[in-house]
Amino acid sequence: MKKKTLIALGIFCLVALSAGGCMGGQSKPQGFSGVVSNDGILYLGSTDGKIMAINPSARVQDLPFPSSSSGEWPFTFTLPSRGTLCGSSSVPVVMYGAPAATNDMICVGIYNGKVLMLNPLIRSQNLPFPQVKDGEWTYPRTDDAIESIVGSPVVASDTVYVCSSDSRIYSLDMTYGDEKWRSAPLDGKLWTTPLVDGATIYVATFDGHIYALSASDGSLLPWNFETEVGFVSAPVLYEGTILAGSFDRSLYAVKVGHDKPLWEFPGGNWFWAAPVVEDNIVYAGCLDGKLYAINGKTGTELWEFDAGSSIISSPAMAGDLLVVTCESGNVYLVDAQTGDGRRVNNPDDPQNAERSSIDASVKGHICVQDGTAYICAQNNYLYAVDIAQAKIDWKFSLKTE
Amino acid sequence: MVNLWNLIILDPMLNGLVALASSLPEEIGVGLAIIILTVIVRLALLPLTLRQLSSTKSLQSMQPKIEELQKKYGRNKQKLQQEMVKVYKEAGVNPAGCVWPMLVQFPIWIALYQSVIRTLATAPENLLDLAQHLYSWEIVNSAIPLNSYFLGLDLGQQGSASGLGGLFLAVLVGGTMWVQQKMTTAPSADPKQQAQSSMMLLMMPLMFGMFTLMFPCGLALYWLISNAIGVITQYFIGGGWGYLVPSSTTQPYGKVR
Repeated sequence: MKKKTLIALGIFCLVALSAGGCMGGQSKPQGFSGVVSNDGILYLGSTDGKIMAINPSARVQDLPFPSSSSGEWPFTFTLPSRGTLCGSSSVPVVMYGAPAATNDMICVGIYNGKVLMLNPLIRSQNLPFPQVKDGEWTYPRTDDAIESIVGSPVVASDTVYVCSSDSRIYSLDMTYGDEKWRSAPLDGKLWTTPLVDGATIYVATFDGHIYALSASDGSLLPWNFETEVGFVSAPVLYEGTILAGSFDRSLYAVKVGHDKPLWEFPGGNWFWAAPVVEDNIVYAGCLDGKLYAINGKTGTELWEFDAGSSIISSPAMAGDLLVVTCESGNVYLVDAQTGDGRRVNNPDDPQNAERSSIDASVKGHICVQDGTAYICAQNNYLYAVDIAQAKIDWKFSLKTE
Repeated sequence: MVNLWNLIILDPMLNGLVALASSLPEEIGVGLAIIILTVIVRLALLPLTLRQLSSTKSLQSMQPKIEELQKKYGRNKQKLQQEMVKVYKEAGVNPAGCVWPMLVQFPIWIALYQSVIRTLATAPENLLDLAQHLYSWEIVNSAIPLNSYFLGLDLGQQGSASGLGGLFLAVLVGGTMWVQQKMTTAPSADPKQQAQSSMMLLMMPLMFGMFTLMFPCGLALYWLISNAIGVITQYFIGGGWGYLVPSSTTQPYGKVR
């Protein structure tokens, strides 16, 4: 009997453990980093923790992946687990911010609290990481990590700027990864991408401030803008005006140096994605499922387009069109002047208007290059959308061995 | 079905929790809001809890008779069943009487659990999910994102990653659960049954102690307060420490009918 009870106790504990999992009750962070391009190569973070370089030409030709001669590579970076129960296992990286591509290098900030500088040429040779002599580094250099990084790193003037959940901005030397400075804590987590404008860095914070900092030493500059509610989106600068979405469901336009907003535009939910500005029109995707076109000077609505579900990633400009994705997986091509939209059909079921363009939600950054929009979906596939034809040209599974 | 659940139960509770946190001092807002909401929910469910306790008491008081029947008709299951039904009927006790009040409480507990876990959105996905549940009330929007720290603990972080504070919380959760169970678990004359109930008495506290290490601390705080309220309810309704203190277990729940 005792043996049976012990077995029952064992099974009970196993069920309890598997029910809880090592990540606890909340869903495991998956990340949604999106895609950027540099010299014709796409760089992205997959939802299974890899940083990848993909050559669209090689994918069109259906070459085996990775085609190193085409500059392709997958890179897996693992960190030791920090939990006390999960032992010494390693955890894959999670990425939310899009990689920053510059000077033949790729910089990524990961949710696990590291900044990585990768040399694409070295990664295609699959050499151990980091190859310091080839400009690769991690920050911090040791197994330690800073608090989670959610926004993208920004590279400007041989310096990498990155915001961390410890409410600081870090300035790192681009060549060696040495810390140049770290700002004083700014209250609240910084999940944003810093906005670098010459010698000034702007950040919008969860505690409702837009701060201006000196890019040379991270000190706070005299001007800041304050609201009662926190900012949720990364700030965007357009002709001396900062645009940022707030938790009070409004999009704020604030002239640098002013205490009062130029205008506030109310939405039906948060403006999570950073807005895009073109020809004095602000295009802002909202979690209420609508894309709003707003007059940049007055804040009045020009038109709205209903995508049907939350718009999490910023729309991407492609000539006169805007590429808009939403959580349901639908992809729309919206006329920037009129707001008329055309849905991209699902290639596996083109006649079915009920089926989403992509069979998974889209949250990451969209990359437009040579008439094609590249979209990384949460099902870990990369999709290439031919904008002129309004159809999905190809898709590629990012689940590699 | 999911939409109906969100509309009627989850969203009101979640927004109530955020609004409550918003109206409290920011440094302790979330923790205190979890405590207050747990107390409110437990108080609202008190009539059902009392009913459940009453049924449990009646069943426990009949345990000696049932054991007698088990000895007498142990091999004849059908006869045993008939006799048990007869005894329950004579005593006016419904064996399922302690189950349904518990079942009714389950959705509320689940909603409270979900509210706590969603409110403490730690990753961007969680915050995006939270956005779909929040009302457009100013008091709610002005509180987001909530400061998840309470008495030095990050309520959004797993207990295992919270160092000594997390371990301490796990011990408290397990300990209060053990006390609560011990107060109501009657000792059995049958050694087999006694061994089983002793094992169960350990199993649940151990399991929830482990859960505390695996889940966000905010949830553990909810379990801790819930257990503490359970102990207090048992103490006052059951008339003392029950079976926790052996000397006071002669008639912990009053006379047998």
